[in-house]
Amino acid sequence: MSRTRSICPFCGCGCSFYILTEGDRVIGVEPSAGNPVNKGMLCAKGWNAFDFVNSPDRLVKPLIRKQGTLVETSWDEAITTVATRLSDIGSRSGPRSLGFLSSAKVTNEENYLFMKMARAAFKTNSVDHCARL
Amino acid sequence: MKGLAKKDLLSVLEGWRGLYSVLAPLRREQGDIVVDRLDSDRFTLEFGKPSLSPKGILLPQSEVTFNVEEGAYRETPAKGATLLFGVRSCDAMAILQSASFMTRDKEDIYYRSRFEDLAIVVMACEGPQNETCFCTTASTGPWLRRGFDLQFYDLGDLFFVETGSERGAELSSGEQFIDITDSEILRKIEDFREKAAAAIPVVHEVKQSMTMLQDDGVGDDFWNRFGSKCIVCGGCAFVCPTCTCFNVYDQVRGEGSGQRIRTWDACLFGGFTREASGHNPRGSQALRLKRRHEHKLRYFNETDIQEALCGCVGCGRCSDYCPVHIGTLEVARAIVQSK
Amino acid sequence: MAGLAAAFGSGAMTNSIGEFEGADLFFVIGSNTTAQHPLIGARIINAVEGGATLIVADPREIPLVSYASLFLRQNIGTDVAVMNGMMNVIINEVLYDETFVATRTEGFEQLKETVAKYTPQVVEKISGIRAADLEEAARRYAGADKAMLVYAMGITQHATGTDNVKTCANLAMLTGHLGRAGTGVNPLRGQNNVQGACDMGGLPNVYSGYQRVNDDAVKDKFSKAWGVQGLDDQVGLTITDMMTAARTGDLKALYVMGENPILSDPDGSQVELALSNLEFLVVQDIFLSETAALADVVLPAACYAEKEGTYTNTERRVQISHCAVKPPGEAKVDWEIICRVATAAGYSMNYDSSWEILKEINTVTPSYGGITKERLEKGDGLQWPCPNSDHPGTAFLHKDRFTKGLGTFLPCEFKPVAEPPDEEYDFMLTTGRIYCQFHTGTMTRRTNMLEREAPRPTFEINPEDAKRLGIRDAEMAEIQSRRGAIRLRAEVTSRVPKKVVFTTFHFHEAPVNILTNPVHDPVSKIPEFKGCAVKIRRIA
Repeated sequence: MSRTRSICPFCGCGCSFYILTEGDRVIGVEPSAGNPVNKGMLCAKGWNAFDFVNSPDRLVKPLIRKQGTLVETSWDEAITTVATRLSDIGSRSGPRSLGFLSSAKVTNEENYLFMKMARAAFKTNSVDHCARL
Repeated sequence: MKGLAKKDLLSVLEGWRGLYSVLAPLRREQGDIVVDRLDSDRFTLEFGKPSLSPKGILLPQSEVTFNVEEGAYRETPAKGATLLFGVRSCDAMAILQSASFMTRDKEDIYYRSRFEDLAIVVMACEGPQNETCFCTTASTGPWLRRGFDLQFYDLGDLFFVETGSERGAELSSGEQFIDITDSEILRKIEDFREKAAAAIPVVHEVKQSMTMLQDDGVGDDFWNRFGSKCIVCGGCAFVCPTCTCFNVYDQVRGEGSGQRIRTWDACLFGGFTREASGHNPRGSQALRLKRRHEHKLRYFNETDIQEALCGCVGCGRCSDYCPVHIGTLEVARAIVQSK
Repeated sequence: MAGLAAAFGSGAMTNSIGEFEGADLFFVIGSNTTAQHPLIGARIINAVEGGATLIVADPREIPLVSYASLFLRQNIGTDVAVMNGMMNVIINEVLYDETFVATRTEGFEQLKETVAKYTPQVVEKISGIRAADLEEAARRYAGADKAMLVYAMGITQHATGTDNVKTCANLAMLTGHLGRAGTGVNPLRGQNNVQGACDMGGLPNVYSGYQRVNDDAVKDKFSKAWGVQGLDDQVGLTITDMMTAARTGDLKALYVMGENPILSDPDGSQVELALSNLEFLVVQDIFLSETAALADVVLPAACYAEKEGTYTNTERRVQISHCAVKPPGEAKVDWEIICRVATAAGYSMNYDSSWEILKEINTVTPSYGGITKERLEKGDGLQWPCPNSDHPGTAFLHKDRFTKGLGTFLPCEFKPVAEPPDEEYDFMLTTGRIYCQFHTGTMTRRTNMLEREAPRPTFEINPEDAKRLGIRDAEMAEIQSRRGAIRLRAEVTSRVPKKVVFTTFHFHEAPVNILTNPVHDPVSKIPEFKGCAVKIRRIA
């Protein structure tokens, strides 16, 4: 068994816990007793924040739509398609034709990088997330 | 009777790693104490009462009990010997109680395989670890008469080491363990025990509340008051060393394959007793709290561990970690006050 | 957040979670705290048991109500009127903090003028709150030494959301409940990193640290830092605008990372139409969400347990998280995917870890300047602003001065809900979350214990209404708005007042946002999830 320090993925309280793992499997959480936010406590969601990680529904391969259906593809094809289509549409219809929705669930670093991509790579400020929702 | 110089402890723990996966109290960077695989740089003796009991080592919060692959069924009990260093006496008694429960009627092979391969090294308490400790009330501490392989008493530079089993005798057969015959030291142990017990006063309300629950119980108003306060986190059950209820579900992982999984459950959740029809015999949070506390203080199997309360081992964690103070201590005191 | 930024110069929770333990009074408006922020709700209960006072304003009788000295059961969407009424009383009875108003604020005269007409009697007619209760609430809030004003989406998810927030700020400034421990205006954020997504510039008008995109100096700074020319200097589209632009064909491609707008956005059928109208939709997620199912390319991402990085909680505390397990299959960490897409599009991005990105954030984001991996590792997080590596972080904002200097009173007039009930659509529908599910349910519905606790959608209806409509508890009924209809089971309960129904947006079986009104606040662009007209019928 091992422990990895993490933050609860649900509400904005930011409770700290250790993710318990056995091999490749997440098997539970242990609240951080010293953290000033949760002081060794969690709510029902926090105590159960490990289960969905192991869900068989997790996406495990990039998917691409071919003849109307999503089919598995390689990372190379997926990335090339995304970059090419976004660039093409951007140069044809202008950066204002592109939109980027960032996420209130990913890290600060990823949010920073996502908005940097929108702004530096695709030259648009149309980047938002679901804070409004 | 044996002794071990404190300076030799780490090398003894490291030595045990040859035979066991050694779990010991560690201090993390930001100060939290966790019980995890021995890491000599983080190992600490100032571990107080770890926030989680050792329950999860025997009954992980989530475990796969069997796999089905292309129609074939395979049980997956854990393998491998584990040594748990620094167990508090209350927690060791909880393990005894749970092991008795989990192997009594229908044997739980998963629990049992882990329990049989578990070496328990208790660290006797010199006094309460914090203000919620009430082992002397539950007769589970601060030191143990049985239920350990080894029991350590911290006498400053030296640990006095008591052997409780054959496995314990083997574990303490190394050359770092010295024989103790000195009557001076033996007297120190008696002193330690007496002082430790005296430092943890009996919480009379717990015993009084038990009698009261057995006699007339307390009224609905009492439980309603707590019921409206409970935020239904389940934390009291999760941190409790004797709560072993689990939920079982199947996860389909493709045609003809899947897993059966069990996870910690708690009687505080409505879904714990909700029936298929939708009817719930414990249909309110008040009833669920009543059930939990009566289970701890009123209904329990006295034959499990004769000398202890055993529904509750007095570790006080439910009082430490209930977000709204509905721990056993608070409830027991409120029961007494209600009359 | 726009409302707080306008009033104080900084749009974030002013105070800290720990301070809930030392406040004398809580005014909770539009937050079902014990369900949505349970460990904050628990602190409020503990404080009340220790002698603090609680005032709850909410249309629903939320669990905190049993701890409240005063329950202001307001009609939906009357927040501005309620708080203007409180300020009317506070000013008339001279209960406000004269020193604070004189030395720390501007615009008091306009506020006084605006709130003058909101007498308790007028507000009673609008809000349904008895004049005497409103007066009592005003006196208690103003009279407390340390009062925390607490709100969540009940305030913001209205067409008048920005006005509601400004009015909260007005009330706190008027009474001097700001700039000290145990006071403040405290919006509770609903997702683990919604604060961080804002802080990092996941917004159309600002870069990280709220540096404006239409400020030339800022643009030059980022041009230089990122080694790029031609940065857009116009404010971009909000999510709400993007959906409109997608319908009209002006927006042609959308890249969605970890969001599920089909379930989370109002008027879901229109969202689906909008997304279907795009030439190209990319969705990066951990599950094939309702939105991902419409995508042209789906990129499998790692979840929180499978990556390293930092998150910022509702009290501006940046905390560290490490990687516990490998992502499943070929799924990748989000930042790696972003690097690959940007690089393939011709803008090279190379980082060896999340920590290298954090270093870049430190250099371009003043409020995060001192928030380094090394410091986060050793402690329990740092609260921004934390400009340099010696700065201890900031527990509460606006201590001696507001971020913008003087705090500005921004008086607002009451405006009713955009779509009030009428003869045909005679109920008001309000939406929210329940305790055991979260957002669009992608995670909690795949968590066996939580799904067991709340396995199916229900709606709350008052016993009198239910009786009149012949709907019994747990029976199926249909809720219909002008935009669509959903079917789900009734929970007959007096938690909701008459003529109000409540349900959640967690369940795809009964996607309530098919019903909700996409009308939104003109500034924040937050839609009015908290009120629209519906009719209810029993399904025989």
